[in-house]
Amino acid sequence: MLSPAFIPMSIGTLVNKQNSDGGWPYVRGGSWTEPTVYAVMALLAAGETEAAGRGLRWLRKARRSDGGWPPRLGIDQSGWVTGLVALLPPAILGEEIHRSAVQWLLGTQGKETTRIYRLREWLLGVPSPVEQDFPGWPWVPGTAAWVGPTSIAILALQRENRQRPTAPIQSRIREGQRFLLARMCKSGGWNHGSSNALGYAAHPYPETTGMALAALRGVKGPKVEMAIAVAHQFLGECRSADALNWLRLGLRAQNQMPPDFCAPSDVARRTIPETSLDVLVAEAVRQGRDVFLNLV
Amino acid sequence: MSRREWLALSAGAATVALSGCNNERPITPSLVSIVKAPAYDQSIYDTMRRMLAAHSLDVRGRNVVLKPNLVEFEPESSINTNPLVVHAAYEAFREMGAASVRIAEGPGHRRNTLDLADAAGYFKIVPRFEEQFTDLNLDDVTRVYPNRQFSRVEKLYLPNTALSADLLVSIAKMKTHHWVGATLSMKNLFGTVPSGVYGWPKNVLHWAGIDESIADLNEAFPRQFAIVDGIVGMEGNGPIQGVPKYAGVLVAGNDPVAVDATCCRIMCIDPFQIGYLRLASDNDSHMSERNINQIGEAIADVATPFALIPEFQRLRTVKS
Repeated sequence: MLSPAFIPMSIGTLVNKQNSDGGWPYVRGGSWTEPTVYAVMALLAAGETEAAGRGLRWLRKARRSDGGWPPRLGIDQSGWVTGLVALLPPAILGEEIHRSAVQWLLGTQGKETTRIYRLREWLLGVPSPVEQDFPGWPWVPGTAAWVGPTSIAILALQRENRQRPTAPIQSRIREGQRFLLARMCKSGGWNHGSSNALGYAAHPYPETTGMALAALRGVKGPKVEMAIAVAHQFLGECRSADALNWLRLGLRAQNQMPPDFCAPSDVARRTIPETSLDVLVAEAVRQGRDVFLNLV
Repeated sequence: MSRREWLALSAGAATVALSGCNNERPITPSLVSIVKAPAYDQSIYDTMRRMLAAHSLDVRGRNVVLKPNLVEFEPESSINTNPLVVHAAYEAFREMGAASVRIAEGPGHRRNTLDLADAAGYFKIVPRFEEQFTDLNLDDVTRVYPNRQFSRVEKLYLPNTALSADLLVSIAKMKTHHWVGATLSMKNLFGTVPSGVYGWPKNVLHWAGIDESIADLNEAFPRQFAIVDGIVGMEGNGPIQGVPKYAGVLVAGNDPVAVDATCCRIMCIDPFQIGYLRLASDNDSHMSERNINQIGEAIADVATPFALIPEFQRLRTVKS
């Protein structure tokens, strides 16, 4: 994991791996939205603007007519990555473009909490579990909500709420956070969002625990405390770069990052998102900033 | 009687009436082999060679993609296809003259595929594993337009590595499944659906119909071979929270329906109760034992009941 001395090396990696179309792959191959957003964020945080500018042009071009973003060019559907794009500063992405991302998020929710679906279930006499009471965000419209896309959407709306607070944004943030709390695993922490299937309790994952904690910044209570304890445990035993990144981001958002924690240096960063998020964590430590709320 | 029950009964009666109109046509039996494999040890390599040889596969100069089941990793569990089985298949196909053999998977729950593979032992067992591996979740994709579609998936994008394979080898784990009854070589194809497009999990397949989506994926890959790791499978609340179940077999064949139906019989599960098998087989043809040329061990000698959750007790057959 990065110490400040190694940030330039990672920035160099990101610059070298940029595709000729301005986007980034996950590892190799064509450009995808997620790695492009994270790479742009990392480069901006580190003050590397030229490559970031090419990435921003790719992102602007990728926007679809409904105001959302597809996982990659050629996929004929907007999805959860719209929340990632909305993490970018409006002044840098473009105000109107950023606004369309926020509007897309506000107009999207998991299918299981839509009125039509709930009416159908009620007519069929199907009981609605309490964890389906609050609208989160799906990976793909027309499907159920999950912890990953909900966490990202909340982070994006929290960012927007700082600059342009509105009642609908605040309402969706609150509802999304209730969704996360309702989907917590019995032992604390979060997996992808299915904490209980057919009566069997499922186990949490470190990366989604970190994401949810990041989205629950400012929320207090016994559930969050339990999740923080689980996150601390994961932090001590985790060997995944993606998981370590999100655990650190989540615990920092909760002001619960152990001050003496030193991430293992031999954990491989295998993808562009892993490298980018590692840079973001390092920059957050170096600059003392919250990179989701205040990237540049 | 509820309206729903009445509708189901009427549909069933109509099906029975119509089926009487079909004339049986001769069917070429599908070859399925069952071989004993007592343990995950070096003997698997020779067992795999002999098993594949019996199927006379000609892969000379071809691109072969091995698709194991890699879901999550928990120590002492039997969730994933054992890496020794995968490596044995890898070596066997190379020895058979394949131009290239790649291992590819797209796990649906955890995003960090290589970390999963590392924790599951693939880096230790398969030399230069990362060079031989493709994460299907993050692969370049192509939109597929099925000739025949069972599910409600509106737009199906599949990874190019799997689509372009001359032979896609589904190397599944023999497990029960809490939504569809059993997960075998056909359900294993869920791992070809790219989470980079559809998310973690691939919930779009559940909304579109799980059984129907499995049948669609079976159609999307016409050049398939199936191997099922039944050395230690999973029973109970599969495919993740069940318990290990020893069966001591490998099962293989180029007809996934026939292979999976045979696996069901080994597990003492009625294959005709498995929705995706019924959808994928024409008039249940390749599920019937009379249309399967089964070689190797007799089912009766290796069958062992896999414990089922209460919701699936109706799948049970009596050990024959």
